[in-house]
Amino acid sequence: MKNKFKIIFGLLILVMLGLIVMINYYNKPHVNVKVKAADYELTSQNLLKEYGEDEVKTDKKYSDKIIQIEGEVNKISTHKGASVITLKNKHMESSVICHMQPEENIKSLGFKKGQSVQIRGICTGYLLDVIMVKCVFVK
Amino acid sequence: MKRVYILVLSLLMVGNMFAQEKYLTKEGYVSFFSHSIVEDIKADNNQVVSVVDMETHKIAIQLLMRSFMFEKALMQEHFNENYIESHKYPKAVFSGEMINFNPDNKEVEIVGKLKLHGEEKEIKSMATVTVKPDEVIIKGDFKVKVADFNIKIPRVVVNNIAKTIKVSYELHHKPYK
Repeated sequence: MKNKFKIIFGLLILVMLGLIVMINYYNKPHVNVKVKAADYELTSQNLLKEYGEDEVKTDKKYSDKIIQIEGEVNKISTHKGASVITLKNKHMESSVICHMQPEENIKSLGFKKGQSVQIRGICTGYLLDVIMVKCVFVK
Repeated sequence: MKRVYILVLSLLMVGNMFAQEKYLTKEGYVSFFSHSIVEDIKADNNQVVSVVDMETHKIAIQLLMRSFMFEKALMQEHFNENYIESHKYPKAVFSGEMINFNPDNKEVEIVGKLKLHGEEKEIKSMATVTVKPDEVIIKGDFKVKVADFNIKIPRVVVNNIAKTIKVSYELHHKPYK
């Protein structure tokens, strides 16, 4: 009798543990760009150059990766309550569009067109421009 | 008199040539929604590129699958890696036109082809089109069948994902310079 109780109790604990693991897995958090190190570090010019040379290959390399990018601010705008920083060089058609996290709004106000900036974010790919999301300013 | 008429006419034509007919957005919004007894899944994309030509009434839309943001990281991961296969098919492309567009009538039918996950299907959608001097807003929704795009859903989660997904869009185009 006592043994049977022990077995049931043991099984119950196992089921509970299993459930906790499953719930944690189901609710696993999004990548935190703020604390996670970048997979690649490069300038906006070099990123655009690579995309211009071979879009498919470059997209496989960078999309879904955390990229730290250095470039010249061309435009600062807002979209749905978050700032958008466009990095562009004078002689280039395309740009790198960085959709910032809303927490970065105040910092965005401090930048001017033409200024150099370092931004870290997740690259989602290339349409007319390289798109970066969940971006934060480095430093 | 005739000469003046010709002059005015030719001016109008020149004016037309330089008229602002193309409108563009790089921050269009597209979302999709799946309802099932197990859970509701929603994802938003705020980086949609769309060009509309108000002369030919043609519209071209492009978006990145990885720009769809989900509430749960796990769902986003499954969507990109297993279902949509973003590494193979990173983009979705729609090209179509507004049928019988008339500036007085806001309700317009948009018909075109949607290319997604390597498959192409005709889409019809009723849209609300608002034309302002400096903006063209196109808003609407349509439904797509998951099976139409050869997207395979594993047995285990077959009850978590709807067979038909509702896609909504809101595109605020600005004059294209």
